[in-house]
Amino acid sequence: MKEILVRPERCVGCRSCEIACAVEHSQSRDLLKALSEMPQRRLYVEHVPEYSLAVPMLCRHCEDAPCVAVCPTGALTQDALTGVVRHNRDICIGCWTCASVCTYGVIGRDRRARVAIKCDRCPDREVPACVSACPTRALIYGEVEEVSRARRAAPALKFAQGVAASSR
Amino acid sequence: MRMTARIPTVCPYCAVGCGFYITRNGMEYMQDHPVNEGALCPKGNAALDVLNHVDRLRYPMMRIGDDWIRVSWSEALDRVAEEMQRALREKGPGALAFLGSAKCTNEENYIFQKIARLMGTNSIDNSARRCHSPTIIALRRMLGTPAMTNPVSDLALSDCIFIIGSNLAENHPVVARWILRAKDRGAAVIVADPRVTPTAWLADLHLQLNPGTDIALINGMINVILNEGLENSSFIKERTSGFEGLDLSDYTPERVSSITGLRAGDIVRAARLYAKAGASSIVYCMGITQHSCGTENVTACANLALVCGHVGRPGAGILPLRGQNNVQGACDMGALADFYPGWRSVDDSRAIDELRRLWNARALPLGRGLTADMMPEADLRFLYVMGEDIVNSHPAVSRRRERLKRGFMVVQDIFMTDTARIADLVLPAAAWAEKEGTFTSTERRVQWVSRAREAPGEARPDLWILSEVAARLGFDLSPEPEEVLAEINQAVPAYRGISRSNAGARGGIIWPCPHPDHPGTPVLHTERFSTPDGRARISPVHHPALERTSPQHPLILITGRVVLHYNAGSMSMRSEGLVKREPEIRIDVHPEDAARFGVADGDAVMIETRWGRARARAKLTPRQKRGTLFMPFHFPETNLVASEIIDEKSMMPELKVAACRIWRAD
Repeated sequence: MKEILVRPERCVGCRSCEIACAVEHSQSRDLLKALSEMPQRRLYVEHVPEYSLAVPMLCRHCEDAPCVAVCPTGALTQDALTGVVRHNRDICIGCWTCASVCTYGVIGRDRRARVAIKCDRCPDREVPACVSACPTRALIYGEVEEVSRARRAAPALKFAQGVAASSR
Repeated sequence: MRMTARIPTVCPYCAVGCGFYITRNGMEYMQDHPVNEGALCPKGNAALDVLNHVDRLRYPMMRIGDDWIRVSWSEALDRVAEEMQRALREKGPGALAFLGSAKCTNEENYIFQKIARLMGTNSIDNSARRCHSPTIIALRRMLGTPAMTNPVSDLALSDCIFIIGSNLAENHPVVARWILRAKDRGAAVIVADPRVTPTAWLADLHLQLNPGTDIALINGMINVILNEGLENSSFIKERTSGFEGLDLSDYTPERVSSITGLRAGDIVRAARLYAKAGASSIVYCMGITQHSCGTENVTACANLALVCGHVGRPGAGILPLRGQNNVQGACDMGALADFYPGWRSVDDSRAIDELRRLWNARALPLGRGLTADMMPEADLRFLYVMGEDIVNSHPAVSRRRERLKRGFMVVQDIFMTDTARIADLVLPAAAWAEKEGTFTSTERRVQWVSRAREAPGEARPDLWILSEVAARLGFDLSPEPEEVLAEINQAVPAYRGISRSNAGARGGIIWPCPHPDHPGTPVLHTERFSTPDGRARISPVHHPALERTSPQHPLILITGRVVLHYNAGSMSMRSEGLVKREPEIRIDVHPEDAARFGVADGDAVMIETRWGRARARAKLTPRQKRGTLFMPFHFPETNLVASEIIDEKSMMPELKVAACRIWRAD
């Protein structure tokens, strides 16, 4: 199961992912209209200047997602197979219960329709737009296991070097 | 027009040259492009906003008093030719001036400068004057070729990357991709910048030097390198000249520390990291060039690379990041007051004679023409501006815009820019994706762009407009990009083998390309430098007198760019997704300076330099160096306060530093 994973140490805070997300979610509409009314944010680049970092925040599509659990109308559902948390704006009543419980604060409000708005992980795309657009590959789309394996490699090497040094 | 499903194109914003596809109702990423591998920065993602924008110019318009009336193309074109000829007849070629465009294609710039020169003037310039004119002067003299020595993707092969005066993470975000790849391999990244920019976030060593002290830092690094025997003696001996004149013994780490405000140990560390690495690259941008010592700053960078032999190999090079999608090309094509096509100096009569024969001209002008900053002071009777908002991009012109228009002024653009507003005649041009031709990116990559959209209204490709004007002047110049490119093959040696077919392949081709079957030359200077004797020139430069603070102006203003906007803003300010995220000008202030001058976050403040005053909102941030302020130059306010001191060698204004003060505006 692929997930969108974030490597904030590579993020330069350029917000390309935000714009890519907006462009992707405007494409189904008439282009000219989409240009004048950019769709609303589903992804948020948070700058943390005191640590010289920026962190792209987007729906984690949590297992046992709290937003799904509290949704009174069933507008939020979790796909049993992919784990993607989907939002059906037609039956959303805009009660913001989901936004109240979301651990990451990534459920927003569509100002025009007055319903919730969140990451849908780009159902029409093989790779989500934010991931494709990211200039520094701070966002990646992959199996958690693969990513963790890559993450383990560097500290494992360091560990090995330390053991080698101490036995010398 | 028949539309295929998706048409490859090249981003119209910066000079990185990223590829993407334009589809019927949007864009698609191009995963196999050699520069961006599909990724785009925020401006690239918003690039299509420019096409079909409601503000696009749709018809030729003539000024009548304060009003504009729509005129036909033939009326407009007749008028351009008439006014040009009248100015020539009454005041001679010195009364004519032309501004080419680093946003237009090579073919358009080539024809534009050709018209200027056939009319007898070298007063043709383009926006390269304000980004890399010092690079042109210094690297041409020292290395022979005024361009990036290695492609961007080569950075992934570097073991040490020294970034000085470049905030590439904001201004060329895709370049950061390749730097991160080098870091993944264990490369060290050094960033020299007074501000804690997102580029500095990538650094293993951030040198937060005082503004304008770049030469001292670099000389200090060379001093350490020579003292510790880290120079590349065989490279110096076999491939350079002038080393014996390089006496930098004064630049001890301790003295450099007192000039730059850096710790002496950090200067030593930077020198060792750069010199000892197997392959090191220097990446620089306008933090180096936009100083009154811009040409010397570039010289210092090249000295460092030459002393260590870090040029002419994969991963080892000097990489000036260019600003506009075709700024390298516009210069290669000779849209410059000091160079003809193919980097022929305006003082080199023999080299110019080759062009005279190619163009069948009786005589061509010699000697430097007016550069952009000089135009308001000249007695011009005719000014032709193609795709350039000079009023918002040159502080000197911005302040004297009324003087720019002493005679007839034509502006050819895609939007009604502030420059177009003062013109007599405005011609609507096609945007990049509505025409064909080649663009040359920062890494000398020449890429053919195809037509993907219809231009709005009666907007026409610049090349068509120029060809029509030329015909009325009695010159037969082709409106077909392919035919013009064939003439460029003759006029510009580095482009000899470039054609629609190799420039149109994925990723195009990197010049020099001497014949049609040549694969291009990603890395320059591998065997010999392109100087007359094949050797690079090492040439000592010294720490200059700096812009000083005074009790009246106790702070230093730094100008630069932010990620969501682009240059003078005629494009990015019309992109809602970008404007929404960065709507207004701000001045970055260090919290301690803010306390000192009684300014709080979000306050409206006034800023004053000896050049002028402007109003903006203060943003408190510890990222700003104490004692300095920062203003992005995308907003006209910055032009009111920017410096007009000039680097005489390159005619570059000192836009990076100006002594200033701020106070709360209420």
